[in-house]
Amino acid sequence: MKLCVRQICFLFAAVLPVTRLLVYPATLSFWAKNDLLFAAGMSFVLEGAAVAAAVFLASRTQKTFFELLESNFGKTAARAVYLLFALFFAFSAFLPILEQRGFVLQVFYENLPSFLSFLPVFLVSLYACAKGLRSIGRAADIALPVSAVCFVILFLMAVTEGDYTALLPLFGTGTGILRGGAFGLPWYTGGAYMLFFLGNFRYERGAAGKILLSYAIGAAAVLAFLAAFYAIFSDIALLQQNALAHVSKYATAFTSLGRVDLFFVFALTLVLLFALCIPLQLSVHCVCTALSCKTALPALAVNALLLVLTLVFNQSYLEIQTLMTQKLWVVYACFALILPYVALFLRRKDRALPCRQRREA
Amino acid sequence: MEKNEKVLALQSGAEENVTLLKNFLPAADVLVYRFETADGKPCAAVYTDGITDKQLLGELAARPLSLSPAPATREEAEKLLLFPEIKSADDVAAAAKEILSGNPALLIEGICGAIILGTKKVTLRAISEPQTSITVKGPREGFIEDVKTNMSLVRRRLITPDLRFETLTLGKRSQTAVCIAYLAGIADEKLVGRICEKLKKTETDGVPDSSYVAQLLSSSPASPFKQVGTTEKPDVLCAKMLEGRIGILCDGSPIALTLPYMMSEDFQSAQDYYVSPARATVNRLLRTFAVLLSVFLPALYVAAQLFRLQLLPFGLLMTVSGGVQGIPLSPSLEMFFLLLVLEILIEASVRMPKYVALALSVIGALVLGDTAVKAGLVSSPAIIIIALSGISAYTVPDLTGTLSLVRMGYIVAAGSIGTYGIILLTGFLLYYLLCADEWGVPLLAPFSPLIPHDLRDSLYKADIWALSERPNVFRPKNRIRLRKKETK
Repeated sequence: MKLCVRQICFLFAAVLPVTRLLVYPATLSFWAKNDLLFAAGMSFVLEGAAVAAAVFLASRTQKTFFELLESNFGKTAARAVYLLFALFFAFSAFLPILEQRGFVLQVFYENLPSFLSFLPVFLVSLYACAKGLRSIGRAADIALPVSAVCFVILFLMAVTEGDYTALLPLFGTGTGILRGGAFGLPWYTGGAYMLFFLGNFRYERGAAGKILLSYAIGAAAVLAFLAAFYAIFSDIALLQQNALAHVSKYATAFTSLGRVDLFFVFALTLVLLFALCIPLQLSVHCVCTALSCKTALPALAVNALLLVLTLVFNQSYLEIQTLMTQKLWVVYACFALILPYVALFLRRKDRALPCRQRREA
Repeated sequence: MEKNEKVLALQSGAEENVTLLKNFLPAADVLVYRFETADGKPCAAVYTDGITDKQLLGELAARPLSLSPAPATREEAEKLLLFPEIKSADDVAAAAKEILSGNPALLIEGICGAIILGTKKVTLRAISEPQTSITVKGPREGFIEDVKTNMSLVRRRLITPDLRFETLTLGKRSQTAVCIAYLAGIADEKLVGRICEKLKKTETDGVPDSSYVAQLLSSSPASPFKQVGTTEKPDVLCAKMLEGRIGILCDGSPIALTLPYMMSEDFQSAQDYYVSPARATVNRLLRTFAVLLSVFLPALYVAAQLFRLQLLPFGLLMTVSGGVQGIPLSPSLEMFFLLLVLEILIEASVRMPKYVALALSVIGALVLGDTAVKAGLVSSPAIIIIALSGISAYTVPDLTGTLSLVRMGYIVAAGSIGTYGIILLTGFLLYYLLCADEWGVPLLAPFSPLIPHDLRDSLYKADIWALSERPNVFRPKNRIRLRKKETK
């Protein structure tokens, strides 16, 4: 088994939430304003339900998603679906790459850095892709303490600086909440990840509870961060791209210590790097499974594709974000939220869990 | 020993056999001691000068034979000789191998083949405290270069029939004895088999030291990271074997190898087990912090100066900016230059005679340090950082070489891309280490994959009763290592 339940829990509790702390808070503030918590909550509920569906599927079968598709529709169809998902994962990694590029160039440099400074990230992701699914779980093990410690410290530095009445009145933005929820979907692809973990981890007793609890903890952390973020920046929150680096900068300790918060931001960037690699790793995994090939070539192809796209759209983050959040959110919804539910209807005849184990599950 | 491909049988004539052996071993240090039995039959002992106990040979072999009539059979001869260790060899190659190991071949007229006498005598240094792992409290014995002495040091601490030694001979020309030590019922015997198999399948000219065996057993010998554990202390080896690891002793080397290896081992010191758990925990945290400091501090300094001055508090920023004014080198080049000087100083101080070391310290500290600052070649903060980094690396002596390489890499990354370069390199190294499994055990265990049970003797040191079970990572057959006896 390449993964274990604990690692999946860590992934949902500590890795994926960090990806929602850069541009997402500002995007939500733009659409949902002070009701950003409701918009985010809506997205969390949708993604959480998709994760729950995939976990339920894992409790019913030991097959991988590919095997499930193959037993239902044949190998060719399974390959086609996997190739589609490979495209989706590669495509879904594009926005986070541009987002991190902006974050890195803004937060890590006081001077005007060369755009090339960001590009070595593709070497790391290429290496991670070549290492396969097992590295996702092991990276999650390392990410949990880093993420937990850094998040708590940054949050504690920020939490006292905000005016929480800025979050009132509740439900004042009307359809803004729905827009925020829908347009924030590109940051919620965890349901799709779970589909591809199927068959790659041993479902054990209480796994569903553990995974959903850790998902809830991750969601709660993001919601708390969003609350502090909006409380600090209020009406100008929508201008605060890269929220992670800004929320704690007003802590009074810095007058004597320097920007020590940056050390924690840097440490969280390591977690962001792990998170950035996941869709690329899954994309490579999909290609390898569909084409029954080794990881080296697909890893090179996927990373090269994204490198070219990043070079071409280097200056167009805003346009890409607008396209992905406002136009293509439906694609994200289909692949990451609806398909895990559709997968529940797949026949699971052989290699199913024994009755007793199912009951325990 | 390539001649042994053609097996030459020893005959019954003593002189004929001497000729055969001398033809096979023409070296000048292979000597022949000729004498006669009481009834005048010729006898000879072929031995290697310097590694054979000649006094023992004379008193326990030549004297009884010269005082009694010639024995008719090998059994009779063995009864006459008073050696506890007697073997026989029927062919020239086998006899030659023993002769070269220090055991003389006794040839008696009328007896076919040779009688091998166990009179090996090698000059050995005394058992002393190893220089690389000095402890304030705890045993001070260290391994020496003789595998048999090392085996006895282990045997003395583990008086149990479960202690097993598998001995192999490695090296076509060196014929080095390699001993695999493990505790049956605790260690994974399949792993022992796999190690033996891998070593047996290796054909090499010689094994001068156990580090050769370590490289032979590594899945990626070119890696800058260790893949096999090492220790010079028998108490440490025994403790590791009691946890379920396997020890490898190599003749000619005072360093024992342990498998499987995890990186967290290097942060543990023998002394951790002889002081209070709280003190040991603090020491481990200190070592971890020192390693992080050693690797990241020079790189962060370079990155802060080049790309992110806000990292430094204002007061420190002023001091640093005052210190670096007029320095001709860029921060990364300055740091690289100082690191290079540090590495050269370390390399020179390790190799040079001790009486020159004092002069070197003076040159290193005064000329290269103080004068370089006064001359405006390097800044004072850079020297402080390199000194701190260099000293910190020695808190974990087994990782010093690796840390030095990694530190260089980080300075290059920080100098070219800044702090993001440090993060990318960390990510890259983590992915490398996360997926590195040696002999079925992940290098970063028990942190990744996380094994909460094993954290109590890695992240921190729990008290002895909390360590009543062996580490889970080795999947030992017998998990319990400590419990209270039930008294009726």
